[in-house]
Amino acid sequence: MRRILALILAAAALTFAAAQDPLKVAFIYVGPVGDYGFSYAHDLGRQATQEHFGDQIETIFVEDVPEPEVEPFIDQLVADGADVILGTSFGFGDGILAAAQRYPDVIFGWGTGYLRSPNVFTYMADFYQVYYLNGLIAAALSESGSLGYVGAFPIAEVKRHINAFTLGAREINPDAEVNVRWLYNWYDPAGATEATEALLAAGSDVIAFTEDTPTVIQVAAQRESPGFSHYASMVEFAPGYVVSGQLVNWETIYIDFIQGVLDGTYTNSNLEDVDYFWLLEEEAVELGAEPGVPVAEAYIDDLEAVVIDHPEFGEINAYDLVMRRLAQMTESRENFDPFLGPLVDRNGKEVYADGYLPTIGDLVSMEFAVPGVVGPWDNEPQ
Amino acid sequence: MTWKWEPRGEPTAALVWGVSLGAVAFAMILTGILFAFFGVAPIPAFVTIVERTILDARGLSEVVRRSIPLMLAGVGLTLAFRARFWNIGAEGQLLIGAVAAAGVALFSGLPATLLLPTMFIAGFLAGAAWGLGPALLKVRLGVNEIITTLMLNYVAIYIVRWLINGPWKGRSMAGFAYSDMFDPAAFIPTLGATRLHWPTLLLAILAALLVTWLLARTRFGFEVRMMGESPEAARYAGVDFFRTTLILVLVSAGAAGLAGVGEVAGIHRRLVDPGSLSIGYGYTAIIVALLARRNPLAALVTALFLGWVAASGDVMQVALRLPSQITGVTQGLVLLSVIGAEPLLRYKLVRVRKTQPPTAGEVA
Repeated sequence: MRRILALILAAAALTFAAAQDPLKVAFIYVGPVGDYGFSYAHDLGRQATQEHFGDQIETIFVEDVPEPEVEPFIDQLVADGADVILGTSFGFGDGILAAAQRYPDVIFGWGTGYLRSPNVFTYMADFYQVYYLNGLIAAALSESGSLGYVGAFPIAEVKRHINAFTLGAREINPDAEVNVRWLYNWYDPAGATEATEALLAAGSDVIAFTEDTPTVIQVAAQRESPGFSHYASMVEFAPGYVVSGQLVNWETIYIDFIQGVLDGTYTNSNLEDVDYFWLLEEEAVELGAEPGVPVAEAYIDDLEAVVIDHPEFGEINAYDLVMRRLAQMTESRENFDPFLGPLVDRNGKEVYADGYLPTIGDLVSMEFAVPGVVGPWDNEPQ
Repeated sequence: MTWKWEPRGEPTAALVWGVSLGAVAFAMILTGILFAFFGVAPIPAFVTIVERTILDARGLSEVVRRSIPLMLAGVGLTLAFRARFWNIGAEGQLLIGAVAAAGVALFSGLPATLLLPTMFIAGFLAGAAWGLGPALLKVRLGVNEIITTLMLNYVAIYIVRWLINGPWKGRSMAGFAYSDMFDPAAFIPTLGATRLHWPTLLLAILAALLVTWLLARTRFGFEVRMMGESPEAARYAGVDFFRTTLILVLVSAGAAGLAGVGEVAGIHRRLVDPGSLSIGYGYTAIIVALLARRNPLAALVTALFLGWVAASGDVMQVALRLPSQITGVTQGLVLLSVIGAEPLLRYKLVRVRKTQPPTAGEVA
């Protein structure tokens, strides 16, 4: 009898201990958390995730990790008892995949990555729908019909965003053009200044961008040109000139995935096909320069003054069109997608047949440029 | 009665060890105070750091792995510094060595057995070539080598950056600025599942032995030492400054080039951003050589020490939850106190009894 009692007590103690032991989730950032861009956004996601789960999880982070040095950091995190390790940068991929083989019991996530394994999933919160909405706004505000885009690298992700921006612009103004300048860098304030000034000098009057600093909107604001904030809220860097932008809510993905780990849905042996590519529908991304404000108040009148004859909605002003499209896409990607076929590239070649809704695979490997995109385009299909 | 610094002769090994360990202990006290400010108990923190970096096999492998480029570049610098050739350009020589090795790996099409040896030779020659210009400018025109070697670092950085963004940009890298991955035949083998590329480590130890032998047992080494300790006497004795400087710079810069080969083919296995390729190894190697008191064998030890300091930074961030900036501060404290203790090796504090106290007038 005493032995049975002892066993029950032991079992209870174990269960209790298991319940008390929080899931340890580690985040690895490529920049300092105060960078106002990528790492900052991920850390906001981490904080929201911690708050959501409370005592169930314990989050830790390491910042400013050089990409090739990620492995020793992973070693340290594993030694520290991390159950889930999330590397947020593309350049961490090699280290994550190598470490995942070495630590088969640990669950890994590779943000913006493309290779998976039984204990490595990939995730991405993508902005293409938001850039399309930004394109609608940009064309409505432009007097010249010439828009500017400062791009980081001519890779599929940025190409997809520029294409979506251009498709949006052309829905308002079929003659709109988007002039593209490439930085060949993710972080290059000096290059971004030059590129923005060149675009403004060439007649572009509304500028969007992909780069990790608020430089583009700061320079545009000096010339009184409206711009779009990227990744985090950048309103304070160019007060009055930030119309809208792209915001990310990484916590939507983090919370969903970690809930799966806690439930036992996701384990260290079934992540081979787990790829989050989350959009407006999942609220992983958001239209606006500040949370909850899709378009800055000051620009709503200007947008409402632009009325077009729309094939789907008839007479509609630009602001209403933005909000309609936003509602459609937030409900489901099936309702509306900027890349829905028929679509031709800027060389006149058909890329998507009539009625074809491109798959995620199509989107992440997009190399063509849509009509209206002006400027060099590496790896353009001929 | 007053205190005065007096120069002392060549310090004994015991003194060197005593002062160095004392300096490290002093730095640990400062670091401990810093830890306490951040709410981390110092003693358990140091225990954790030692457990994770030295008592743990994988942690130890990372300490050694980090010290490999410091060893190679540092050993090379001890030779240059012996002759008072102040080579600040190991960083650039390392990068160019990596570029040459990457070029061979990506484009030579050599058979697998020849690939790695050729990469090492190419890296050595490229590093040496990068040191050649400053050496020629110094011996022929008297141009300060500190400036020229330092400036060439930036040239090397931009060459790497141009290559990975331009002609060598990898097709399989989704537009990111890396070269393509090397063929596995061009990977330097590592010890088990660690990242310790042991052939490069072996090369570093051989380099230290070779430079020690050169300095102690050859005419060349004698000339190097004479140039460093008494250039006038060297000139009088008929030392060929031109020839000797060229050789010592070639060896010194070539060693840094080898370090670059180790990094690019042992760790990254493709050409990457210069800031990733070398986390300032070429500059840290200067401290390695100076702390080693320009002794190539001692440079192996100081390189390990600095590798350990860097690895400790990871532990501080992960296990002690200190911000990344603080790990930089603690590393700075350690270096500062070790370098700051240097005068204790060259001078001793002695008490002198003044026969006549100075008057007010004399003091003024």
